[in-house]
Amino acid sequence: MAYNLIGKDFTPMDVEAKVTGRAKYAEDFRAENMVFCKTLTSSIPHARIKSIDTSEALKMQGVLGILTADDVPQFPPPALPILAKDEVFYIGDPILAVAAESEEIAANAIEAIKIDFEQLPHVVDPLESLFPGGPNARTEGNVAAGQIKLQTVKWEASDFASAGDKKMPMGRAAEEWSYGNVDAGFKNAKVTIEETFVTGTYSHNCMETRSTFAYWQGGKCFLHGSNQSHTAAIANISRYIGIEPENLVLIAEYCGGGFGSKIPGYPNMAIAALMSKKINRPVMHRITRTDEYGIGGARPGFQAYIKMGFAASGKLLAADMYLVQESGPHATAGDFRAAGNALTMMYQPEACKFRSVPVLTNTVPMGAHRGPGENQFAALVEPMFDKAAKQLNIDRMAIRRINAPDSKGTIGKDRGPLTSAFQKEALDQAAAMFKWNERKNLSGQRTGSKVIGIGIGQGYHSAGTNGFDGLLRITPDGKLHVHTGIGNLGTYSHSATARVAADMLNYDWENTIIERGDTRKALPFNSPQAGSLSASTQSRTMYVAALDMKDKLTDIAAKSLGGQPADYVLAKEKVVHKSDASKSMTYQQAAQKAVELGGKYSGKEVPEDLNPITKNSVATIAGSGLIAAAKDNLPRVGVTPGLSVSMAQIELDVETGKFEIKDMISVADCGTVLHPLGLGHQISGGNVMGIGMVMERHIYDPKLGIPASVGFHSGKLPTYLDVPVEVGWGAVDKPDPQNPIGVKGVGEPVLGSGAAAITSAIADALGGHLFNRTPVTPDMIINHLAGRPPAHKPLQVNAV
Amino acid sequence: MSDADKNATGSSGIRASRRTVIKGVIASGVAVSAAGYLVYDRYGSSLGRAKGSVERLVTLNVNGKDRRVDVLPNETLAHTIRYKLGLTGTKIGCDHSECGACTVMVDDISTYSCSTLTHSVRSRKVTTIEGVEGPNGELHKVQKAMIKELGPQCGFCTSGQVVAAVALLKQNPTPTVDEARRGMSGNMCRCGAYDHYLKAVMTASREA
Amino acid sequence: MNVKDMMPQFDLFQPATVKDALGLLDSYGKDAWKMAGGYDSLVWFKERIKHPKAVVDLSAIKEMQGIKETADGVEIGALTTLTEVERDPIIKAKYRLLSDAVSHVASPQIRHAGTIGGNASQDARCLYYRYGLPCYRAGGNTCFADTPEGINREHALFESDRCVAVSPSDGAPALVALDAKFVLQSSSGERVVGSEEFFVGPKVDIIHMTSTKPEEILTAIRIPKTWANANFYFEKVADRNTWDFPLVNVAAALQVQNGTVRDARIACGGVSAVPRRLTQVEQILKGQPVNEQTAKIAGQSASRGARPLNYNGFKIPLMENLVMRAVRDAKA
Repeated sequence: MAYNLIGKDFTPMDVEAKVTGRAKYAEDFRAENMVFCKTLTSSIPHARIKSIDTSEALKMQGVLGILTADDVPQFPPPALPILAKDEVFYIGDPILAVAAESEEIAANAIEAIKIDFEQLPHVVDPLESLFPGGPNARTEGNVAAGQIKLQTVKWEASDFASAGDKKMPMGRAAEEWSYGNVDAGFKNAKVTIEETFVTGTYSHNCMETRSTFAYWQGGKCFLHGSNQSHTAAIANISRYIGIEPENLVLIAEYCGGGFGSKIPGYPNMAIAALMSKKINRPVMHRITRTDEYGIGGARPGFQAYIKMGFAASGKLLAADMYLVQESGPHATAGDFRAAGNALTMMYQPEACKFRSVPVLTNTVPMGAHRGPGENQFAALVEPMFDKAAKQLNIDRMAIRRINAPDSKGTIGKDRGPLTSAFQKEALDQAAAMFKWNERKNLSGQRTGSKVIGIGIGQGYHSAGTNGFDGLLRITPDGKLHVHTGIGNLGTYSHSATARVAADMLNYDWENTIIERGDTRKALPFNSPQAGSLSASTQSRTMYVAALDMKDKLTDIAAKSLGGQPADYVLAKEKVVHKSDASKSMTYQQAAQKAVELGGKYSGKEVPEDLNPITKNSVATIAGSGLIAAAKDNLPRVGVTPGLSVSMAQIELDVETGKFEIKDMISVADCGTVLHPLGLGHQISGGNVMGIGMVMERHIYDPKLGIPASVGFHSGKLPTYLDVPVEVGWGAVDKPDPQNPIGVKGVGEPVLGSGAAAITSAIADALGGHLFNRTPVTPDMIINHLAGRPPAHKPLQVNAV
Repeated sequence: MSDADKNATGSSGIRASRRTVIKGVIASGVAVSAAGYLVYDRYGSSLGRAKGSVERLVTLNVNGKDRRVDVLPNETLAHTIRYKLGLTGTKIGCDHSECGACTVMVDDISTYSCSTLTHSVRSRKVTTIEGVEGPNGELHKVQKAMIKELGPQCGFCTSGQVVAAVALLKQNPTPTVDEARRGMSGNMCRCGAYDHYLKAVMTASREA
Repeated sequence: MNVKDMMPQFDLFQPATVKDALGLLDSYGKDAWKMAGGYDSLVWFKERIKHPKAVVDLSAIKEMQGIKETADGVEIGALTTLTEVERDPIIKAKYRLLSDAVSHVASPQIRHAGTIGGNASQDARCLYYRYGLPCYRAGGNTCFADTPEGINREHALFESDRCVAVSPSDGAPALVALDAKFVLQSSSGERVVGSEEFFVGPKVDIIHMTSTKPEEILTAIRIPKTWANANFYFEKVADRNTWDFPLVNVAAALQVQNGTVRDARIACGGVSAVPRRLTQVEQILKGQPVNEQTAKIAGQSASRGARPLNYNGFKIPLMENLVMRAVRDAKA
């Protein structure tokens, strides 16, 4: 199909609002009689709450109410609570909320509240917790994840003794799988690489903290929040507040960053809502950067071991990986599973073994961060391929190419199918763009104190799913309303995917209105804006809804002008008879006719298989125009992988340990390109976040359990001067055969390939030295070059 | 007129006669959000009233207009403009001068409003993101460039980026790429949109 | 980790003259807090670690602003902003070491409001101290950083006496290298001290970074013309290339005649509670030719006496390299 809109650049309709300051985020809303709410959080890393004395606070002028765990819905531990009930698990754990006439009064009130804690042992290092007699992050256990119930796991002292200081100890796993004959694979390998590695945890650090503003009207809760999903989050947020989904009005038009930490709503949102209900005033719960550090999420870390056996050709014959995951205090982190999957996907090992233990720690709650598990894995393991290539005496590109998945590749322990994969093409395209064959000769070249490092990185994340609903409406004024229930992180996929519908219906983009960001706008049940899902999932829902719209348009034309629906085609905003041009009707006329006809044409009847949220939404606009609503039941078999390659040239100063990224490019295998400028934005932005993965850190004083990396400054987020002037980009642009438009997602893999390109380049500049650790900081480089031992122990975490 | 202005209201629950006086003065000037800003009087009625200390009622010149507003001594400019002047375009990203989302101009110089006491800028000219566009909504060349080059992603840092760019170009109308990068280096973007923003600054610098 | 962002109440004074400001300091004594640009001050208040009753905002005092050339050199008002110092034609022409140094401070917005006096006087950044823990520097009797597991990556190599915090300033080492004098005024008069007396380490005063008394105001910094147009070198190494404090920095002024060092003043920041003047290195350099070998020896000598902690040992080779580069690459 030739596209008018898809594949072309356009100006999304919310850009002007952003550059003029008119875009309203949760903390920008105001209401008459609004009050302020602040949370009191734990100052101790692990403790039992013995008593809370709020008497002084309640006496203060202007204090209006206090919310404790007793006032909010409870969720069985180790789920993330709204407010801590009996036990607190990290410094920053919210215990209660105070509402007052001003934020300052609320702060004063918090200072006046006395809490009696019984301090409990705390732990910030997972291996320490696995050591016999080691502390547990929770009184009921130290290991938990989704489908791994909270339990206590202790390894044997002999597990640690036999590993020694430098190798990861490997005791009993909580989860494991394998396929193929791993032992035989290692036996046949020409080169075996065995490494112990550590990936640091670090905060999502979304620019916008998750402030919430809430009030009640007519029995409904109006909640202005910061969220990555819209309709996909309704059920969860309602559950946190303790209301029926129909009674939640969620207004979240803009989300100032989520990166995985604001996907399905989150418990903290309920505080403003419940406080508002309690004191009968609109409540602004402004989340400070310090609050956000605690509840805002962080990428889980790994203490890990990997062994890989390569054939002479570079083919990965066998891989054995063990991950100990630093999980925070709750069962919220599934990175370990995703990393295991990434190993099978990115390198297609012929035999593979995977073991893991997700360990709880008294550090901030952790969960998915842009490419969870896969990207930490990529950043650390990609440079190991450089090492293998060197030992095998083959090209670093070639070793990746031979193992790169193609459409016949498989994924996971069950070696399931893929819908498409063009990673070899991505590698070739990146190599051409970067002039790999020339640049690789620059490795190690030294001028003065500067040495060149050339790096390659790859990334993967699953990037598509199906089963969501599309909803389109043509109103009697002739406009096309595209109702979309995904969030708005600034990827512009709400508009890019809407263009699928506009294109299929031959609509002028100027006559297309995007309805989003407010549950009162009749939004269908759509995927979260997460997991690199939006572009592919939404193009499917737009497609099926557009097909439904097309059917109804031709139906109406046949009814009105005679003949069969199949006699009609769509032209520019009108339906025309194939062989008699005089028989035509504009979409505007069709919409008017639809209102008359009622039934399925005007949304009075809807398909049974639509999600209840979609059905409710259609009900609110039924009769207002020509409505198309359909569930995406298009077949989809297998995993849809988003893949990327990044390449970087750095100059590392051997006297200062600092390096400059002189050049960086990235190529994505993300199927059909919907919006080039938007895609380039995601690719370069993702690569910048990848640079961040090599810089950013969590630091905890192990004795006191206090965090030393709160905020952007001590968290070390990359700035203008830490990234290259430009990240060049490209896309393979080969359609995925199982998406009607051929689209796959891209948001996440580009972070992994970017981070990996940098770790690979650093290793290259240092003659192949692997730090096997992120972040890679100037002091690590200086110590290495000076022949000094590293300051941290090999498996140490949350330190520098 | 912003939604904040539309939501502005008289206060309820006024308890002290002094506050009534303050309310009256403000109401007679420009519409300002109200009830949330009554303050606990830690020093009794001498709050902020030590001899020689600053007067709470001030006139601020913001975006070309004089605005009368009640400002506490410990109040930051970010808080004043967001909560008392209805100008929510300026964002608070960190409140600790670590991100630049709160960037405004004070006498055309880029400033972190989160780390400026409002009283320190009483006699100066304050320009927020809302004041960057022309009086009839004509977009500034920086704003036009940011639209053309698709500067923002999530948009939360964008107000700060725009104002920082405007201030930069006022001081150095034709920067080199390095100078532009350096001039913008006090603004963080978590989404990593640096190259798009930088391109927009260079594009704007080439416009008359 | 609790009530960040909302400062408690205080009385705010904005005196227009030094005399008025001094009067306020005399009245309020230890309840007063001097504020210049405010970047350091406001964070203490927001964290509710410091609770002054009276904040004396000095920013309106015109007599403390501006740069003027004098018979003896140049006088910089303590409230001159870092951007103004960076761009000043006299400083750039004759004392380029200082404009270079301040150009590396923090970020543009902070440089536009931060002052040279504030930058030189700034407080330590030790994470435990800044967290509000009752350490020596906070008036307590312990140190949390100098412990077997303490996070002390950014801490001192030299002259720690119970406290291992460092001077985090980029401007201060340059001022030391230029032999700056610090003008301190009080109601009883004026005293002018050199950098050795101005910057104090924990042996002298474990609570303050400078010898400025509570009733005194640093009103001006005077740079003698002794080192005008010398060969200068400034370099800062930090984690990130903006915003960050130095891990180590070096400021060097060398008087070179016919390729030989006649005299030198070199200071390193980030390695001690005061900008560390490298007097031994300066002695070694006198009379030596400016070449690679001299530079190497100078670098290696710079770290003599270093006592590394568990995480900051990297500062030894880093300091050596920076001093080596300073000697090798200093130019007019």
